[in-house]
Amino acid sequence: MSEEKSERKKGMGEAEEVREILGVVSTQIPALIRGVVGAVFSEEAGRDMGRAAGAFYKELRESGMPEDVAVKMTQNYIGVFTSLGDMLKQAVSGKGKHMHIKVGKEGEEEIGEEIAKKIKEKIAEKTEGE
Amino acid sequence: MVKIQSILSIVASIVKIAGSLLILWATFGWKVRKTRRAFERELIKQGMSKENARELSVHYKVLKDQLMSTLMHFVRK
Repeated sequence: MSEEKSERKKGMGEAEEVREILGVVSTQIPALIRGVVGAVFSEEAGRDMGRAAGAFYKELRESGMPEDVAVKMTQNYIGVFTSLGDMLKQAVSGKGKHMHIKVGKEGEEEIGEEIAKKIKEKIAEKTEGE
Repeated sequence: MVKIQSILSIVASIVKIAGSLLILWATFGWKVRKTRRAFERELIKQGMSKENARELSVHYKVLKDQLMSTLMHFVRK
């Protein structure tokens, strides 16, 4: 009977823990994604990138470069963006050769530990605040 | 009672995450279009033709597609 009671208590404790973790994650993850997306895909970011690419193009044209070559070179300059996506893809799939990100089980465990640590810190902060 | 409250809270958190991600996904295309337009405008200001500016801004769409496929790959994993 007492065993059943302790099992029930343990289950309740786990549910409580999951509730607290999800409470923190539900606010942190969307904010993180919003921040990352906003850094690249926003009117201001587009304007800044356009200004940089435009200045590059203008300089090329003023130094006497033919238009098609100047456009091609500006295209390569902007292409750094696309390679950013490639890099991200490689990092996620674990194919990166020169990246110092630990991949595989070891990396996953390390990332998991780091996330758990951060969540525990946030929960502690929250409970302290209350 | 406490357990029911916890379960309800867990469901609410999951719905909150799913809702936020859905809103992000729905507004992503609109944000890309806005960024492209601002980018093209600046290039045109510097003397580039409209066609070339449009051609260059395609990189934003490529990057968006790459990010989405990476995210999908990550979710499927």
